[in-house]
Amino acid sequence: MTNTSFKFEKSNRSLFERLFEPPEVGRMSPAANVVAHILLVLWTIFVIFPIYWVVITSFKDAAAVNQGPFYVPFLDFQPNLDAWRAQFNSDANCDIPSILRQVGLLFYNAFVFVVSPVVTLQPMEPQICKIYLAFTNSIVVSFAATAICVAIGSMAAYALARVQYKPKFGNIMMFVLLTLLVILATSFAGIPWWLSSAVGLAMFFFLVRALGKHFKRTLGNGDILFWIISQRILPPIVVIIPIYIMFQAVGLLDTHLALILVYAVANLPIVVWLMHDFFVNLPIELEESAQLDGASRFAVFWDIVLPLTRPGLAATTLLTLILNWNEYLFAVFLATSKVQTMPIMVAAKNAGEKGVFWWEMCAIIVVMIIPVILMAILLQRFIAKGVLLGAVKG
Amino acid sequence: MASVVPKVPVRFDKVQKYFGAVKVLEEFDLDVAPGEFLVLLGASGSGKTTALRILSGLETATGGRVLIGDRDVTHILPKYRDISMVFQSYALYPHKTVAENIGFPLKVRKIPQAEAEVAVRDAAAQVQIEQLLDRYPRQLSGGQRQRVALARAMVRRPSVFLMDEPLSNLDAKLRGHMRAELKHMQATLGTTTIYVTHDQIEAMTLAHRVAILEKGVLQQLDTPAKIYNDPANLFVAQFIGSPPMNVVHGSLEGSDFKTGGSTVKVGVAGRVAKGILGVRPEDCSVVAPAKGHIKGTIYTTELIGDHTLVTVETERDKLTVKASKDFNGKQGDAIGVLMPKDHLFVFDAETGQRIR
Repeated sequence: MTNTSFKFEKSNRSLFERLFEPPEVGRMSPAANVVAHILLVLWTIFVIFPIYWVVITSFKDAAAVNQGPFYVPFLDFQPNLDAWRAQFNSDANCDIPSILRQVGLLFYNAFVFVVSPVVTLQPMEPQICKIYLAFTNSIVVSFAATAICVAIGSMAAYALARVQYKPKFGNIMMFVLLTLLVILATSFAGIPWWLSSAVGLAMFFFLVRALGKHFKRTLGNGDILFWIISQRILPPIVVIIPIYIMFQAVGLLDTHLALILVYAVANLPIVVWLMHDFFVNLPIELEESAQLDGASRFAVFWDIVLPLTRPGLAATTLLTLILNWNEYLFAVFLATSKVQTMPIMVAAKNAGEKGVFWWEMCAIIVVMIIPVILMAILLQRFIAKGVLLGAVKG
Repeated sequence: MASVVPKVPVRFDKVQKYFGAVKVLEEFDLDVAPGEFLVLLGASGSGKTTALRILSGLETATGGRVLIGDRDVTHILPKYRDISMVFQSYALYPHKTVAENIGFPLKVRKIPQAEAEVAVRDAAAQVQIEQLLDRYPRQLSGGQRQRVALARAMVRRPSVFLMDEPLSNLDAKLRGHMRAELKHMQATLGTTTIYVTHDQIEAMTLAHRVAILEKGVLQQLDTPAKIYNDPANLFVAQFIGSPPMNVVHGSLEGSDFKTGGSTVKVGVAGRVAKGILGVRPEDCSVVAPAKGHIKGTIYTTELIGDHTLVTVETERDKLTVKASKDFNGKQGDAIGVLMPKDHLFVFDAETGQRIR
């Protein structure tokens, strides 16, 4: 009577078992280990290769690109700096003093933007080398838009997560109807817009007081949230012409402010949606406790809620930044010359009569991906887990 | 230190609370004396936590008034009520150190830093966590977190303490220890305290007075001793006591309570077709079958240590009787239960009301 079904000694196990059974709970078997690592290596190559390709292409010349494909610098082809020189040296104005002047303008614009967003920003100098102009434009537009978007979006998301709103359906319909009437009155009856809006607003408040209590159907926070998200379901292309005409009317075409506003609004739904999820999942006792301790709603948000959602906030900021950084459609309509951003510059290399300048395009792309990688490294420190540890468990 | 402690009364005046169509509190009246330690006791869903949250301002009453001192606070924001609360989950701010946690109520009130530091040290000393001030909540044990929550609640000397099952996340031994400390602290500070729990031991040991709630209705408000010895109705009688009070179903005819074939003499007189006779396990005793008021057989016996619990199966009910530790009856043995007249309670089975 030997106990063959139990194999306590390693020597009792067959080669097959040793290969395919994990050595202990929570680890992988040797065979699985090998397979996993092979897959990981393949996937890494798959991910890294495009970046590698962009970098080496930026050091190729026309011949190396057109007669290729060549994969290894110095062996397959001789790398040179033609593409890079074309970005920085083709323009006589691209010297140190003009770059410094540009940096000064950048800070001036940033300052003016904070102090008073309606003041017209100083245009960047279009004659300076284009890549520098596009780079600073991209930085100003995407960072400002991201800051505005995350600030407004997270506050809206918090409000939707913690305050119960019950707008009456009838009141909303009434507002829509009155808005239509105001538009009709202004466009067809020739009534000045300020007069018709004032009358419309007054009528709205009067009607809400008079009729509001008779409306029974109300909407909830879920409806509001869905409405906000639904704004992102439509592709932006359907609103681009109205937006173009709007900015034309107020004379903001080809300004930083136009791009910043449009980008911030376009990404607001995403920020609200993502942050709402983080806020809803915070233990509410923390906020209740802070309220009882005497904190105002803003203090609760600033001092308790925001630090606890820092990982979510960092991830959302990074995502919004990347979306803004890569945005093309709005930029191509709204930024015709002075405030062109990097994506437009990349695309422009695809539209010459001499064919596609792949090598120059790749040089621009390399410049373009550097800030995003830097931001990702900077923000990933905050995207750490376990922030809530010790909050509400005994 | 505890020199200027405000002692204020708290009053619930016909407070009602509905969540949609669900009635949680109905005409809830409660007077809490200044400096009193009052325990709200009830099963889950009895409305005790809702009452506490209405007092804290985290919920708003549907009807009625809430008064702290002589101020009507029914529609006042929590932060203006001068109360502090200890949550069951402690609700410590995980991104703040212990010192910052305790000092938070002072910080939001813009108390000068130096003054706040002294207050934080004093509060920490009171619950013996001075050496932990630089740690984060995640580095603390459950009992230490509990102490931080207590220190944070008392650092600004509120006029009322609210506690929502503060001990239920601790293990049994620590719970007993913290209970004693809590009682000592409350007696020292003399602050009016309202404490919510479902644990009758906590209620009996801590409270000056216990308020028992069931289905949003106050069942009895009295000292622990009166609650135990003189329950107002069947619910209170069965809720308090471990093991719970025995119930014998039968009918009351004059001062005879008839159940099955047995008759028990009781101290009250009346006529109730469906009555319930209540007797606590320690007040009755097991005797020879012929001598007992009620006859039955032994269902099981449990040795607790200093006594034995004997479960007796009678014609209609099962009774638990406390017997001496050397009781040696066997399962199935015939046995009698002696019920002394002075320790019997009679209730109307339909209304649950005590017949006096």
